Amino acid sequence: MLGEMEVAIAAPETQPAGPPPVLRLERLSKTFGGTRALRDVTLEIAPGEVHALVGQNGCGKSTLIKTLAGYHAPDPGALAWLDGERFELSGVGDRHDRLRFVHQDLGLVTELSAVDNLALSRGYARTRLGSIDWAQQERTARALIGRFGMDIDVHRPLKEATPVECTVVAIAAALEGWTGGGVLVLDEPTAVLPHTEVERLLEIVREVRRGGTSVLYVSHRMNEIFDIADRVTVLRGGRVIGTRDVAHLTPQALATMMVGEDVDLSVRREAPSTARPAALEARDVRAGVLRGVSLAVGEGEVLGIAGLPGSGRETLPYALAGAWPGPVSGAMRLPAQSDAWTDLAEDDTARIPLVPANRTTEGVIGAFSVKENLTLPMLGRLRGRAALARRREDDLVDGWIDRLGIRAAGSDAPITTLSGGNQQKVVMARCLALGSQVLALCEPTAGVDVGTRMQLYDLVAEQARAGVGVLVSSSDEGDLIGMCTRVLVLRHGVVATELTGDQITEPNLLHAMEGS
Amino acid sequence: MSTDTAAAHASASERHVVTRPRAARRTPQWRRALSFGNIGAVYVWLLIILAFTVWVPGTFATRTTFEQILNNNAVTGLIALSVVIPLAARVFDLSVAFTMTLSGVTVAHFAAQTGVGVAPAVGIALGVALLIGVLNGFVVVGLGVDSFIATLATGSLIKAFITMVTNDQSITGVQLLRPPFSSIAQTDVAGLTLPVLYLLVTAGAIWFVLERTATGRRLYATGFNPDAARLQRVATDRLRFLSLITSALLAGVAGIVFTSAIGSGSPTAGDPYLLAAYAAAFLGATQLRGGRFNAWGTVIAVLLLGTGTTGLSLASTPQWSTSVFTGIVLIVALAVTSGRVRVPQRMRRRAVATD
Repeated sequence: MLGEMEVAIAAPETQPAGPPPVLRLERLSKTFGGTRALRDVTLEIAPGEVHALVGQNGCGKSTLIKTLAGYHAPDPGALAWLDGERFELSGVGDRHDRLRFVHQDLGLVTELSAVDNLALSRGYARTRLGSIDWAQQERTARALIGRFGMDIDVHRPLKEATPVECTVVAIAAALEGWTGGGVLVLDEPTAVLPHTEVERLLEIVREVRRGGTSVLYVSHRMNEIFDIADRVTVLRGGRVIGTRDVAHLTPQALATMMVGEDVDLSVRREAPSTARPAALEARDVRAGVLRGVSLAVGEGEVLGIAGLPGSGRETLPYALAGAWPGPVSGAMRLPAQSDAWTDLAEDDTARIPLVPANRTTEGVIGAFSVKENLTLPMLGRLRGRAALARRREDDLVDGWIDRLGIRAAGSDAPITTLSGGNQQKVVMARCLALGSQVLALCEPTAGVDVGTRMQLYDLVAEQARAGVGVLVSSSDEGDLIGMCTRVLVLRHGVVATELTGDQITEPNLLHAMEGS
Repeated sequence: MSTDTAAAHASASERHVVTRPRAARRTPQWRRALSFGNIGAVYVWLLIILAFTVWVPGTFATRTTFEQILNNNAVTGLIALSVVIPLAARVFDLSVAFTMTLSGVTVAHFAAQTGVGVAPAVGIALGVALLIGVLNGFVVVGLGVDSFIATLATGSLIKAFITMVTNDQSITGVQLLRPPFSSIAQTDVAGLTLPVLYLLVTAGAIWFVLERTATGRRLYATGFNPDAARLQRVATDRLRFLSLITSALLAGVAGIVFTSAIGSGSPTAGDPYLLAAYAAAFLGATQLRGGRFNAWGTVIAVLLLGTGTTGLSLASTPQWSTSVFTGIVLIVALAVTSGRVRVPQRMRRRAVATD
């Protein structure tokens, strides 16, 4: 069905001309139960190229990477070559000298230092007495990391390092003992990186390529692909839709390949025509790095919160939602409920629904079903005499699954069987189902594909039209440009700049965040 | 009891559902309910019964043996059920065995050595258990000490207190040997004693709370991901506190029942029950609800382990063989459900995902 759909793309299919591919996969399929996650995938990586792998959530990217890593065994019939040599995908171990992985979670032990983490994969250097040769170990670590122009304290635990520093350590660990050639697989390396650090990471990827190593680069972020990739392979519904030279593609055409229909990437939201009364007002909020922020979100307004990591951008929604673990001071009120101001230091009952920043650790409960996740904050309302009213709960959940187009095998399906984008929809549905006049969203599109991202933007716009005031805190400028009608840029815990309407552009946002 | 669709099971380890499974592909609900993955322990139990019937013909497959298994394991069942609610919230209460002992000697002391009567003695014993629950809650939730070590510590304190007041002597007295006190545990109903009934009622109540009420859902949420639960307005601290109160109270009940059953207040009554309780609760978590601590799974586990140990003693095997049996069953059950061990493909396809 999907494969029969013709996609009109101007760019020609690239020919595997020139040197033989360093990695080649043929007839790779993978079936889980009755679900075909990959169908007849063919993939070729040329020596020394950065090859992007893109597709919407659930397209089979993760399955492909995991199959390549030997985590899943492919269906019989799959063929694979490394440097022209056949190897078995279902076997583990024999490919590790020329095919290495940096998985999305980086696989680091954050309590340990960079030195220790590197030693976990390469082993510790020993003195003649058999004890660890720390001096040697430190020199090695510095050399590995220094190659990427990074100067980090190799003895500090990684949990104190920035995300990009952790990524560098993971890449260094993956490349340990590497003599060039081969393929480095980077699975969504920028998913957790703030926008400002992405460029540093891309430079590191270029450095890897300069060393003669090919990179298979999995990403959701369109502009990165055009920045860094030589070729791009698009997956949809488990099939390869095509492999193209990036030079011959436009973002529009790539998005169309991924989604299968025309997507308008140039969305811009209409500001509410007239000034509306405030849905949320906050005065002098202090929590964590926040040093006194006051704001008002109008009814039907989508207010963005931007800022570098540590600017207080991450803290503000939690403080307003009564979910900040540390001390909070300031006052807020929800005029729709009451004109009285609530002191945040004393009363955290005036909570507003929050989409937390980290979906896996704060958003969903992995062992729960879709239904159990969705109704968690509203169980009190679903109570019958003593037990939960199960019929009402089912109806409520089915209604939201329908309304948001959540793709799940039913409301009792474990939440972990859903793709990231669909999990995010469940988290969103949970907030909307509370029926609040104010919502706070943190990183609403992290790890979400282009199609779902557009659906989430539309959903927020729909809420705004219905008069809901929405607060969006995001490190992704695309979110702020695509959703917000006004953006507060935080710097060092205070509001530094306010941008409205046409002023909300990427250069303006970056400029305001960095204070340059 | 809600169960998941077959397709969802098949791809439980996979993050992406690529195509919506067709309704026609669904396995009938009864087949899922009876699958090995769901109630494997019941099949193992039947197998054990069959094995002992062959091994010890004449004595094992009799009504008396079955009544004996039920009657002898009712207290184990009660103490095992006492830790189910805390475990659902990922709280360990390792003091239950000592709470059981303390409640047992308390009721014996007040019923036998003072003139307060049976009902007030029972009330005082439960009050003491309640106090232990509050103490545990205070240390775990109030002081923020990890529950595993906190209840190990309070257990040690309770143990010291018991030794101090009883001087390690059993509390005896004629009042403990005759009704009304003895009838708490020694009343027979159709060959079964009352504690079996207490067990079933308690299991039913815990099942209802965990499966059917908002509180149960919130307890599981607290156990699985306390951060996410807190962000969804679940009062995780209060639930953890309450879970320790329920475990102490249930351990108190078990202590009273045990004292009534043996007719004296033993200062070491609870000692053998701690391991048995956790064994049954963890084995029970592999049953019915795939990975969730639950009441009926725990009851099934108690019966499975009880049948094995009773059968082994009837077969005149050495005394240590029962411990070997318990150890092996636990390791096999938890290994099979951990997903690391390959079970034959036909069984696996029906197995419930338990990650």
